[in-house]
Amino acid sequence: MKIKRLSALFISMIVVLATVLTACAPAAAPTSAPTSAPATEAPKPTEAPTQAPTEAPTQAAAPVTIQYWHTHSDPETAQLDKVIAAFEAANPGIKIAPTRYAYNDYKTALLTAISSGAVPDVARLDIAWVSEFADQDALIQLDGTMPNFDTIIKDTFPGPLSTNVWKGHYYGLPLDTNTQVLLWNKADFDAAGITTPPTTMEEFATDACKLSDKAKQQYGYAEGGTYFWAPAPVFYAMGGKVTDPDITTATGYVNGPDSVAAFTMLKDLYDKGCLSPNLLGGGIATDAGHAQGNYAMIIDGPWMVDIYKNNYPDFKVNFAPIPTGPQGTTSSVVGGEDVVVLAGTKNQDAAMKWAAYLLSPEAQKMMAEVGQMPTLASLTGDPAMPPYFAVFQEQLKTAQARVPHPKWGDMDNAINNAYQRILKGDQTPQQALDQAADEINALLK
Amino acid sequence: MLLAHNKLKRTFQMWAAKHRPHQSQRTMYTKRRSDLLPALIFLLPGLVLFALFFLGPMLYSLRISFFQWKIVHPDQSVFVGFRNYQHALSDPIFRRAVLNTLVYTVITVIVKLFLGLGVALLLNQRLPGRTFFRVAYYLPVITSWVIVSLLFEYMFNGQAGLVNYALNNVLHIIPKDILWFADPILTLVPIILLDIWKGIGWAAIIFLAGLQAIPAELYEAARVDGANFAEQLRYITWPLLGPTTVFLVVVLIIGGLNAYVPFQLMTHGGDPMDLTHSVLTLMYEATFGRLDFGYGAAISYLLTLFVFLVSLVELRLMRQQAGAA
Repeated sequence: MKIKRLSALFISMIVVLATVLTACAPAAAPTSAPTSAPATEAPKPTEAPTQAPTEAPTQAAAPVTIQYWHTHSDPETAQLDKVIAAFEAANPGIKIAPTRYAYNDYKTALLTAISSGAVPDVARLDIAWVSEFADQDALIQLDGTMPNFDTIIKDTFPGPLSTNVWKGHYYGLPLDTNTQVLLWNKADFDAAGITTPPTTMEEFATDACKLSDKAKQQYGYAEGGTYFWAPAPVFYAMGGKVTDPDITTATGYVNGPDSVAAFTMLKDLYDKGCLSPNLLGGGIATDAGHAQGNYAMIIDGPWMVDIYKNNYPDFKVNFAPIPTGPQGTTSSVVGGEDVVVLAGTKNQDAAMKWAAYLLSPEAQKMMAEVGQMPTLASLTGDPAMPPYFAVFQEQLKTAQARVPHPKWGDMDNAINNAYQRILKGDQTPQQALDQAADEINALLK
Repeated sequence: MLLAHNKLKRTFQMWAAKHRPHQSQRTMYTKRRSDLLPALIFLLPGLVLFALFFLGPMLYSLRISFFQWKIVHPDQSVFVGFRNYQHALSDPIFRRAVLNTLVYTVITVIVKLFLGLGVALLLNQRLPGRTFFRVAYYLPVITSWVIVSLLFEYMFNGQAGLVNYALNNVLHIIPKDILWFADPILTLVPIILLDIWKGIGWAAIIFLAGLQAIPAELYEAARVDGANFAEQLRYITWPLLGPTTVFLVVVLIIGGLNAYVPFQLMTHGGDPMDLTHSVLTLMYEATFGRLDFGYGAAISYLLTLFVFLVSLVELRLMRQQAGAA
């Protein structure tokens, strides 16, 4: 009996040991390998040549590895590899390890990394996220710490640059930029007997109705949704503003006469059946609808060239500037990505070198080949740029950035909801935007 | 004397009979104690994993729910007491999410139970091609939530969807196309229909297992006594399926309250106007969309508490059922 019990104990211990060992081995490997291993191996070598002159000869220093996270598309990722190769050739001590994420998983992945402390050294962020992450102390302030910072930013467009500012300091560099312009379907225009795209908002509204035939699911204009990005070009061109320049109040701005006029025009188009109802949700998507002729005009970005090349190879895209508002000026909304260095990087010098290299004319030109619009003013009109960039670069001169504020997501939501209430007729544009102003003011407190 | 002896003997026997179960229980207990160590060693890996990956994070998020949480510098987080919970309970978006989740749960659970039972009764007959139908009804269960959610979104497209085409152009039931996803109430239609379509098979299979456990003799006896189909259903099938039904209700309600994927995919996180959230999509948006970890954690705990209470009631029902049976 005694022996039996002992052997049972013995066997159970062996089983436990076996399960623990086999269970832990595969579990431990993947968690440590991709995140911490390169980061922890990497830190010392940068300082090794200077600090340990006797033992380690400068040449033999193990290369520093910079973790770079991004959400590039397939062709962009392929091109990024070439940029990395060029950078590594010029900087023999530094290796770049890129990691690609799907846009929808990206924020979660970054947050997980930040909260666990295993951060990438450098990351490409949506311009709307920089202030949000800076507010969480997740990014390194670049003015005052990055070599040649002032020289680097001097050549960048002011709109994209402004997206990196939080509380008077810079937390990123404008990596690539884009804006939205008018896309007009020539076949639809020909059928309606219109020869040129509209240049003023009045023409835009008249044309939109001429190009509509509700019975045939035919609309002159369509927006992808009611989130701010969709009506933003019309809103800004009409002279609309969300807040004052110092971001202290929305009263008199988001509910000011110009902003109200912009949404009144859109509501009018919607009521007349000239603006497709798909923007309320669950209709034909704007990209497909435009190519198939349902939507004569949409407003969208430079990536549409590649999207149509893949999905509708026979469709020819026509771009035009956003029509001018009552003040005679055009405008649009700035989009794009910034490159940031994360607080917690153990290779700050090398990380900043890589970030600065991404802003070099050389790297910017390479990425421009796959549709990433450069942020350097000096590259405007450069023969290396694809011809369709011209209209976007012209539009960028007047395009405005969304409010650079960590609560921008909530402000966007306030305007989005106001737009929904306007379209459904629950409130007049003035009433809806008054409410949005109150909601945004509460966020600014 | 003899009488007294016999009496005493009887008393002892009665006492022994009364206490025998106790005694045997005690020996079982001591035996169990001696086996405790090996058992513990066997359980240890599981317990460690459970503590590490379930209990630990659960307690940690309970802590987060009382803070205005700073993800990068948790040490700088501000303790706010129950403010996150108060915020949730007074937030109209949260209340709407709760309402949506409850409506969704009540409708889908009831419909799945009745249709599931109906399908199970049919599948329990000796029909030709029975295996085929069993597979066919179970197929939606094993399809990917993501794929069928997107499929339903296409079918209910307001301008080019199959459903509008059928209702408007073929059947002429509706005067003009319905923008399903533009209306906060109509949006629930495809979401609920999807869940019912996808869930009937599972309910049916569980009911089928319950049906097959009912002895055939009972039906034979009932038929001898002249009971018709409805009476057999009322007096044999339904009572004997009691435990199965309670089990299904418990699991389906918990599943319904935890609805996430179809809501997230078809409403794109509460569109329009944050009126179509489920509790979990709102939790996700608060946490990962707006980085408000404290609020997200509070929502999670409110949901957990609610599921816990509902489960307690259901477990009591289950025990009553077991006692009755």
